[in-house]
Amino acid sequence: MSGFNDRVGTPLASAKQSSQFPVRWRILDAAERIAALIWPRSLYPYTGYLLLVPALLLVFVLVIGLVYIGGYSLHELDLSNYRLKESFSLTNYYTAFTSATYRTVLLRSIYASLLVTVITIFLAFPYAYLMVRARRAMTRKFLLISLFLPFFIGQIVRAYGWLIILGKEGLLNNIIGFFGFSPLKLIYNYPAVILGLVQYMLPFGVLLLAPAITAISRDVELASESLGAHWCRTFIHIVLPLAKPGLVGSSVVIFTLTLTDFAMPEILGGGTTDFIANSIYDGFFQLSNSGLGAALSMILVTLGTAFVVVIFSIAGTGTLGFSKGAE
Amino acid sequence: MKNISPVVELIDVSKRFGKITAVGNVNFSLSKGAVLTILGPSGCGKTTLLRMIAGFESPTTGKIRINGKPVQAVPPYRRSIGMVFQNLALFPHMTAGENIAYPLKMRRFPPQDIPELVERYLGIVRLTGMEDRRIHQLSGGQQQRVAIARALSFNPDLLLLDEPLSALDKKLREEMQLEFRRIQQKIGVTTINVTHDQREALVMSDEIIVMADGVIQQSADPVSLYRQPSNKFVASFIGLTSLMKGTVDQIEGTTVKFNVNTTSLWGQTSSKFHIGESVEGAIRAEQVRVHTEQTRPVGMDNVLDGVVEEQIFEGDRMVYQIRCPALDSAPIFVFDHDPAHNVLHRRGDRVVLSWNIRDLLVYPD
Repeated sequence: MSGFNDRVGTPLASAKQSSQFPVRWRILDAAERIAALIWPRSLYPYTGYLLLVPALLLVFVLVIGLVYIGGYSLHELDLSNYRLKESFSLTNYYTAFTSATYRTVLLRSIYASLLVTVITIFLAFPYAYLMVRARRAMTRKFLLISLFLPFFIGQIVRAYGWLIILGKEGLLNNIIGFFGFSPLKLIYNYPAVILGLVQYMLPFGVLLLAPAITAISRDVELASESLGAHWCRTFIHIVLPLAKPGLVGSSVVIFTLTLTDFAMPEILGGGTTDFIANSIYDGFFQLSNSGLGAALSMILVTLGTAFVVVIFSIAGTGTLGFSKGAE
Repeated sequence: MKNISPVVELIDVSKRFGKITAVGNVNFSLSKGAVLTILGPSGCGKTTLLRMIAGFESPTTGKIRINGKPVQAVPPYRRSIGMVFQNLALFPHMTAGENIAYPLKMRRFPPQDIPELVERYLGIVRLTGMEDRRIHQLSGGQQQRVAIARALSFNPDLLLLDEPLSALDKKLREEMQLEFRRIQQKIGVTTINVTHDQREALVMSDEIIVMADGVIQQSADPVSLYRQPSNKFVASFIGLTSLMKGTVDQIEGTTVKFNVNTTSLWGQTSSKFHIGESVEGAIRAEQVRVHTEQTRPVGMDNVLDGVVEEQIFEGDRMVYQIRCPALDSAPIFVFDHDPAHNVLHRRGDRVVLSWNIRDLLVYPD
């Protein structure tokens, strides 16, 4: 028996020869000993909560900001001194909902968000599908890199890129001019904003759809085919329903990102196609009416939240993979 | 019986991926109602072969005929083939019943017949009443049954099984092998099964094709395949077989004497040898008898001294791994089926091995 004990050794016994251990082991052992002093073993069950604290703090700060903005929104601007009045009122909300301008902006934002979501998903699905299913590794890499490149450029620069291509003196109009046509007005209008937004959202759509498509076993598609389904029917009856988590996730992200977008309507819309965010900016910084800006912000937050709640109550949060058994 | 043409026929079928030959010149045909198992180690090309029959891959050269008609231009969804996949590939967003109804809907069966057919096939796989269960609510064995019912419900000409039982634990797997045999006999569907499990092949098939490196090694019924393996690979792949290398010394018809170092062994062969050719003898563990020095057999040709190297108890039998100094090759495996274990040989014991001439099969090296 003593021989057996010698062979196994206890951590204490082996600590004597710890100088023989590689440096990395010794550093990690020391770190563990220090961690044990700060966070003793008896607290281990609460480690998860400890790790949650930083994230919760961040969210909490956001909530504080939201409460303040909510507070601002309830005070009307005093035009005599350009400060918010002391008294509470719903005037700002009344203005936001009754003014034809803000109503147009609101409806335009929602409509554009729906449009961009639908178009982007339509374009992103085949892209994601091909990226996941391509047989050649080169094809997959090419698709992935072309997807990520725009990410490195940033939204503002990309919007300016569109100006260069679509502008009055832009690339496209130059080509058209070469063939003797008069230049077209391709920017500072609604389609330009939609185009810019779709291009901006496409990578988000693809990246959120790809894991969902990866989760669909290739054999499931082959099984459907061998059971008598043409690929169209396989797509409708098998791929689409199984990709639901990705469709829900990417719709929510694209819709909310579009709804709150500022740069694309600002640069490609040129003031003709303002979204809510542009109106909020104007409220705070152009009109100096922080009350109205805050009210619009609250409306935006409510709209976004309502959309997410509606989508999840229809599709179920299970589609995000929170609950088990989705497979 | 007017229609005697085989259900499936493969003529010189090869499949190459780049420079790699996955399947090389495979020929076989299968008549109606038969169960064929393609047996081989992983990577031997058996799954590629199955996928070509299903239509997911097309052969590089050669022809595949189903019911006498070439199927090169026929896409999988137009072939009348039911397939059970290795991972089952059930549709997780549908119930058991919806899974079984899927091929019926896709193949445009009259809608009023579908519920009845689903009910019938649920009954055949003994899942009556489970129709509304979701796939993840079913056990592994029940999922197997749904997959089989789904592949059969549209009454295909051919059923393909791509190692569907490999993920199950041993007991359930053996149960499903018998269960499958029962369903197959009831329906009479022509079946091609692919597996690396020799027991499954022996239990389930009317005919077995052993494949290695993309090439058919032997094609025979289970009993002949086990009793008369046609080459060294088949002999060592099926059953527990010990191999010994030597050179031919004497030939008397189908009986061959070959020398391993200074020891002479007598064996049986179907090949033509010449004196001095290097050969390999193969003996199955159940054909070797183990004795002690006291019970040493006299007047027999194949008698070898050895030492017990390992003693493995498998419940229904004892397996001995015996090192014979005369053969400097791998140890020889022996089954001892004595249920009472009257004579136990312990590690390090000296023993004597013997076997019949007709049980030692000699192959070209």
